[in-house]
Amino acid sequence: MSVMPRRITKAAVFWQAGFILLLVFALVLAVRNIDANLARAGISVSFDFLSSHAGFDINESLIPVSSESSYGEVLFAGAINTVVLSLICILGATFIGVVMGVLRTSNHYLGVRVALVYIEVMRNLPKLLILLALFLAAINTLPPVRQSWALHDMVFLSNRALYFPALEAGSGMRLLIVFACLWPVSLFVLGRVARRIQDTSGAVYPVFWPVTGFFAAVVAASVLFGWVDYPISYPVLQGFDFQGGHRISIQFLVLAAALSIYHGGQVAELVRGAIEAVPKGQFEASRATGLSFLQMMRLVVLPQAVRIVVPPMGNQYLNITKNTSIALAVGYSDLVSVMTTSINQTFRPIELMTLSMGVYLAICLAVSFAVNAYNARVSLRGG
Amino acid sequence: MSPLRNFLVASCFMIATAGSAIGGPVMDEIRKDDRLVCLVNTNSPAFSVPDSEGVYRGFNTDFCRMAAAAILGDAGKADIRGIGFSDSMKTIVAKGAHMASRSITNTGTRDANPGMRFVVTTFFDGQGFMVPRSLGVTSAKELSGATVCAEEGSTTLLNIADWFSDRGIQYRVENIADKTARLQAFFSGKCDVLASDRTALNSDRLLADDPEAYVILPEVISNEPLTLLSQPDAELEKALYWSFQVMLNAEALKVSSGNVDNVVADLADQPKSVQRLFGQDSAAGEMASQIGLPAEWSYNIIKQVGNYGEVYDRSLGTEDYGLERAGTANALFSQGGLMYPLPIR
Repeated sequence: MSVMPRRITKAAVFWQAGFILLLVFALVLAVRNIDANLARAGISVSFDFLSSHAGFDINESLIPVSSESSYGEVLFAGAINTVVLSLICILGATFIGVVMGVLRTSNHYLGVRVALVYIEVMRNLPKLLILLALFLAAINTLPPVRQSWALHDMVFLSNRALYFPALEAGSGMRLLIVFACLWPVSLFVLGRVARRIQDTSGAVYPVFWPVTGFFAAVVAASVLFGWVDYPISYPVLQGFDFQGGHRISIQFLVLAAALSIYHGGQVAELVRGAIEAVPKGQFEASRATGLSFLQMMRLVVLPQAVRIVVPPMGNQYLNITKNTSIALAVGYSDLVSVMTTSINQTFRPIELMTLSMGVYLAICLAVSFAVNAYNARVSLRGG
Repeated sequence: MSPLRNFLVASCFMIATAGSAIGGPVMDEIRKDDRLVCLVNTNSPAFSVPDSEGVYRGFNTDFCRMAAAAILGDAGKADIRGIGFSDSMKTIVAKGAHMASRSITNTGTRDANPGMRFVVTTFFDGQGFMVPRSLGVTSAKELSGATVCAEEGSTTLLNIADWFSDRGIQYRVENIADKTARLQAFFSGKCDVLASDRTALNSDRLLADDPEAYVILPEVISNEPLTLLSQPDAELEKALYWSFQVMLNAEALKVSSGNVDNVVADLADQPKSVQRLFGQDSAAGEMASQIGLPAEWSYNIIKQVGNYGEVYDRSLGTEDYGLERAGTANALFSQGGLMYPLPIR
C-alpha cells in the first residue's frame, strides 16, 4: 500500500492556527497578569540593579571580582563557576561510568561485583546526602591548614584547599600556550594523513603518542636547558593561609567528586545497556579473531555502543549541569549561590530567577547542541 | 449541597463578614480562622527549638504567643512554623504567614518592600566574630588573610565585606548554606573565623564538643535590630507594636505572669499607670476597641506569656545559655538599655 501524499487541508490549518493563537493568548494573559499584580503591590520589573554595586565577596572565581563589583559581574562569575563545575563533573562521570559499565559487563567475577555494588549504592542514595557526607568526611579527615599534608614542600592539601605551584606569565607560559594550540591541530592533521595512508596501502602509522611525545620532549628540553623562563610561584604558609601559587577549594573537589560518582552510577547503567545491545555475534567474532578483552571493547564493541549511548548520555549531561546547583549547600559560589545572596540583598526574585533560568537554559542548550552534533557524526547514515 | 447553593452561601457569608469588618484584611483572616501563623527559625538554641512534642519553644516563639494572646485571647492559638531565613520573607510577601518572629534584621531596603512591614524590635543584636581560643587572636583587626565562614544570603556577607574593605584587611569568605556543614567547617578548622550575630555565635558555640575552646571577639561590626515582621495591615501592626509595649510597661511596673492575677484583683489600689494598663475602661480597654482586640488583651499577654524580662530570662538568661542582659541594649531604658516603654494612656 502506498503512503498517501500529505495534503494540507483547510481544517488542519484552522486547528493549528487556532492552537498557536490560543498559546499566544495564554502567554500574553500570564505576562499581563503578573505585571498587573506586581504593579498593584508596587513592584516593577527592572534589571537596572545589575549595574549597581553588589557589596559582597564570593569564595572563588576565575574572573577578578571583589565586593566592589556589580551584581552583573558577580552573577557572571557565578555562571562561569557553574560551567567549570559542570564540565569537570561531566568528564568525571563519563570516565567513572564507562569504566564501571565495562566492568559490569565483563566476565571478571570481582569486577562485576564491585561494579554492581557501586552502581546500586549510587543509584539509591540522594545526591545531597552523598555531597554532605563527603564534605563532612573531607573537612574532618584532612588536616587544618597549618598542619597541611605536604608533597616536597610544593603541593599542600588541607581541609581548606589544595595548594600547588603556579606558572606565572613569561616566555615559558607563551611557549606552553602555543603548544597547547598546536597539539590538537597536529593530531587532527596527521591523523587524517595516517588514515589516508591506511586506506590506500593498509600500513598503520601511530599518531597520538609520537606527536604528544614530540611536544613533551620539546617542553622537557626547554626546562632542562633553560631555553625559556618558567617563573613559578610556590604556595607559602603566611599567617592564616597560604599565599602564592594556585588553589582549588575543598568544596570544589568534594562537589566534583560527589557529582561524578553519583552520576557515574547512572552513566554506568547506560553504558551497560548500550554494550548489551551490541549483537552477541560481534563479541563472538572478536573473540574468534583473537582480540583481547580490551581490544574487543576498544575496537569492536564500544564504537557500536557509542551510537546507542549518546542520546541518553546527553540527557545525563543536562542533569549533571542542573545538579551542580546543590553547590550552595557546601559554599561553592555557583550561579544559584550568588543568585540567592543577590535576591536577599536586592529583593528582586523575579528578575534574578528569570536571569538564572536563562543562563541554565543557555548552558543546557549548548550541551545539547554539542551532544546532538556528536550524535550526528557517529550515527549510521542512510539506511 | 449543589455548587450553586454553595456559592450563594459563601457569597452571603462574605457579604455579612465584610459588613462587620473593623480590622484590616489580615486581622480579619486571623480572627476568622481563629489562629495566627507565625514563622520562626527551625533550630536556633534559646530562640526557637522544637521540644519533645514538636512544639517550638524559645525567645522568638514567645512573641508569636504574645500576638495570639492579644488578638485571639489564647497564646496556644499561635500556629508556629519553622522556616529557613531566605524563605521567611518570601513567605510573608506571598501571604503564606501572618507574621515572623525569626531574628530578621530590619534594614531600609527590606522595609521598603511593600509586601511586608517591620513592626517592632524585640532584640538588639550585633554581628561579631568567633575564633578558636587556640589562635590567640584578641581583636578582629588581627584577622588579615583569614578565612571567614558565614551564612549564605544574609546581611552578614555585606557587613563582613564592608568591615574588612574599610580597614584594608585581606580575607576570604566561605558562604555555606547548610548549617551543619558550616559549623563543621568552623569546628574542623576549615574556616578560621565564624561570623554571625553575636547571639547566634553564642548558640553555635554551645554546639561544639568543648564550648570553652571558642571565644567571641569584642568587635561588634553592625547593628542588627531583630524585628517582628508582619503582613502589611494597619490593625495587625498596631496590635503587635502595642502588645510589645504592654510587655515592656509591665516589666517596668514589676507586673509579671506570677502576680498579675493579684494585681488585677485589687486594681483600684494599684498605681494609676498599672490601672491604665489593665482596667476595662482604661487606656488599654479603649485601645482594644479601636484596634479590634479582646478587652482583656493586656492581661492575657502578661498572664499567658509574661513581661519582657520574664521572656528574656526564660530563654536567654538561663544558666546554660547565659546571655547577659544588664548593660546591653536589651536592658530597660531605665537601666541604661534601649528598651523604652511607650506610654499607654
